[in-house]
Amino acid sequence: MDTDKVRDEIQGRGPADDDPLDRQDDLLLAIGALADAPPERNLWPGIEARLDRRSATSRSFTFSLPQLAMAATLLIAVSAGVSWLALRPGPASPASTGPSIRAVAEPTDAVQGDVQRATFADAEYDAAVADLEQVLREGRETLNPQTVMVLERNLAAIDEAIRQSRAALDADPANTYLNTHLADARRRKLELLRQAAMLSSGS
Amino acid sequence: MPVDDVVLAANGDASAFERVYHAHVPRVHGLARRMAGPDAADELTQDVFVRAWQKLGTFRGESSFGTWLHRLAVNVIVERFRTLGVARDRFLSDSESALEVATAPPRSRPDLGMDLQAAIERLPPGARTIFVLHDVEGYRHEEIAGMLGVSAGTSKSQLHRARQTLRRTLNATTKRAADRPQMAQTRTGPQIGQR
Repeated sequence: MDTDKVRDEIQGRGPADDDPLDRQDDLLLAIGALADAPPERNLWPGIEARLDRRSATSRSFTFSLPQLAMAATLLIAVSAGVSWLALRPGPASPASTGPSIRAVAEPTDAVQGDVQRATFADAEYDAAVADLEQVLREGRETLNPQTVMVLERNLAAIDEAIRQSRAALDADPANTYLNTHLADARRRKLELLRQAAMLSSGS
Repeated sequence: MPVDDVVLAANGDASAFERVYHAHVPRVHGLARRMAGPDAADELTQDVFVRAWQKLGTFRGESSFGTWLHRLAVNVIVERFRTLGVARDRFLSDSESALEVATAPPRSRPDLGMDLQAAIERLPPGARTIFVLHDVEGYRHEEIAGMLGVSAGTSKSQLHRARQTLRRTLNATTKRAADRPQMAQTRTGPQIGQR
């Protein structure tokens, strides 16, 4: 490359700067005469076969970073709390402390006064969870990968909270606080799966 | 095409999207053919419309739908070049011999635009892409450089070479077309005389 070319390269200039298309240029006339024509074969069937039939506007979802951080923090807190309870020695469990524990358990509206919800209708609950997990599996490709990652992490945290609650309840079945936590974790799992299924199905 | 079809398509109406496709496919296919050549044009056109379907939700109506789709098409085609791993090299390595081959006259066509179309398809890939983006589609060298990962100077050099090659090709085609009536007249003369 000679000196002029190097200089032109650095300055972002090129020979075309000295080679403008003027109105008399046949090339310009030819460019103006270029016509667009449809393809010789119909391409639509091939396109149609590749279309995801769900709503285009709701096809891809992302959570904002603050939402993700809040969800993760909440789940870590729940999981850590249940873990702490589950690892406490049996005799000192909240069941023996009566009134003070009830005061903690009561604010959960979904399970208020109904700690038995932690153990009722397991088959129904499991079926609902299985259905939603199936929907989510089928639709996971429509979700943003980061969203899928967070969902899976959160579901794993809830599952761990449920597992630990059950383990703790095995040792202290009448513990209102643990029952409340178990019910709450199951409700959270169901709700998270419902939301994820709705997102993945675009409804 | 009614704007409503874009809205309907954005809400998942595949029939509306088919109408959008038919309204815009000549433009998109023409772009794909000029940028990537006839062999890749069909597949690229399909890729563009599948991508458009996926991205319709992001169309805000700030520009015309045609403009939005065209920009998306350019991106899909350039992305394909990148995926193939040939982007930068191809824009730097179009050889003189390749350009010489490109100056061979295309099949004789009476229409200037069709002559140019055929000549464009014979250009080496780098020169062809830059010529189409700059002279046909109206992109600036800085934009082209950004899209293709080359310098603005390279874009200008390739454009210059492409223009020279195309001028030579068009001139050759025009000359052949000008010679043809004389030859035809020579051939038809005796025939008329025989009647």
